[in-house]
Amino acid sequence: MNEIVISVQNVSLHFPRKGSLLDGLKSIFGRNRVDAYCALKNINFEVYRGEVLGIIGENGSGKSTILRIITGILPADSGSVLSRGEQTLLAGLGTGFSSHQTGRENALIFGSILGYSRNKILSKMDEIISFSELGEFFDQPIRTYSAGMKARLGLAVASAIEPELLLIDEVLGVGDPKFREKSKKRILEMVNGAGTVVLVSHSFALMKSICSRILHIHNGEVKFIGDPEEAIKSYYSMEG
Amino acid sequence: MGEDRGDSILNPVAPIVPPLKGPINVIHSIYLNRELVWAMVKRNMRTRYRTASLGYLWLVLEPSLLAITYYFLFIMLAGNPDELYPVWVLVGVIVWSTFGKSLSGTVSSISSNAQTINMAYFPRIIFPVSITGGHIITSLGSSLVVLPIIIYFGTPVTLNLIYVPIGVIMAGIMGGSFGLIFASINCKQRDIEHLFRFIVRAGFFFSPVMWTAEMALERGTMGEAALYNPMTTPITMVRHAIDGQALSLPQYAVFSSIIFLLASMIIGSMIFTKYEREAVKFL
Repeated sequence: MNEIVISVQNVSLHFPRKGSLLDGLKSIFGRNRVDAYCALKNINFEVYRGEVLGIIGENGSGKSTILRIITGILPADSGSVLSRGEQTLLAGLGTGFSSHQTGRENALIFGSILGYSRNKILSKMDEIISFSELGEFFDQPIRTYSAGMKARLGLAVASAIEPELLLIDEVLGVGDPKFREKSKKRILEMVNGAGTVVLVSHSFALMKSICSRILHIHNGEVKFIGDPEEAIKSYYSMEG
Repeated sequence: MGEDRGDSILNPVAPIVPPLKGPINVIHSIYLNRELVWAMVKRNMRTRYRTASLGYLWLVLEPSLLAITYYFLFIMLAGNPDELYPVWVLVGVIVWSTFGKSLSGTVSSISSNAQTINMAYFPRIIFPVSITGGHIITSLGSSLVVLPIIIYFGTPVTLNLIYVPIGVIMAGIMGGSFGLIFASINCKQRDIEHLFRFIVRAGFFFSPVMWTAEMALERGTMGEAALYNPMTTPITMVRHAIDGQALSLPQYAVFSSIIFLLASMIIGSMIFTKYEREAVKFL
């Protein structure tokens, strides 16, 4: 239980602001950062094998940024992120799908983007079809899908490949209540299968029921990490 | 799930690759992700042609229609400079557009795939590579149009025909790797992609598309200087593949193309490797 899967050490991140062409050249080709916005300040925390770590904080506090740093999508300016094993991020489900291709084709591409071989995804295809509940739509172009259907497809692919570490960014609110219940069940199954989950959500009720620890982030700084009840208290004490 | 997990160690996420390893890193990433590259190439091409009822037929149809246009424009209206002149223009257009589309596609390859990039970490070199690959394949399809032309004009079919795909691939790689230099900075300043749209349009006239290397050489110093244009070699190569003559370009023109190709590949992959990480912050 105490094996570290993710270790975030002294991570800081700045987002340069939009500036003139000259500023742009300076900030990309130079060392000095012109008028940068500090998104994460000296973040430290660890994720242990088999736990569900929740991340809460108000909009813009850096929750999604942390997940992007962990996956390596965003580079940390200082500090380091270490990880063990494969990880999969669920964020903005369905946004990167190509609308002229069918659900099946997109599932294959999405799977490859997440780092899995074509054969592995093909072997999981039946599972993906049944979990996404898309039925005959699965072989229709994505442009005929509703937003909820796209999200279901995304979640179906990402959970079917059973990543060792699943990072979820506010996607459990998608779909109808029945599907939401199913997603929650699926994530709990993954946790029980010794998978590890990091979850960003605004749904405190859900977080309390599935998270073993919660991290509260405020203005890019970690304010609390530990017991879910305490973390939510910390949240309300700061955000009112 | 395996029991070997305990043995695995903590590794840095998305480790920094030294820019000097750029070229090797690019080739290695393409190899490791060849399935994904191929899937993306197919995706790019299908999005372009699937919804058209004539589909991939447009690959040959578009340049053929262009050829007819040039035929009327130059033979019926502007006199008859050379029976094959419209063919030279057609070839020029196909090869130039391979370069131009690969170049502008690569320049905007990171910025236009923001959504996919924000979904997962994977080598972003896949985007420019699959865009360039798609344009090369499209142009190879288009260049099939030379077959009926060869039959019509009765030009001898020689082994030189192999220079058709070589010229097209060379043009595509030149455009793609030159664009790598600017793909990252374009995320910060989208002016770059507008600038390149202009460069591609203007370059059309400065390259041997509407004119040939032979015409330029008849024009003295200015014409000779024009052949320093790196696109001279791939375009002329394809033209001579069709008329079966040996490549008769001055050496400096060939060197200029080869140096441009190699320099773009090396510098482009180094700059891309160094700056693509920072570029993601602007998406």
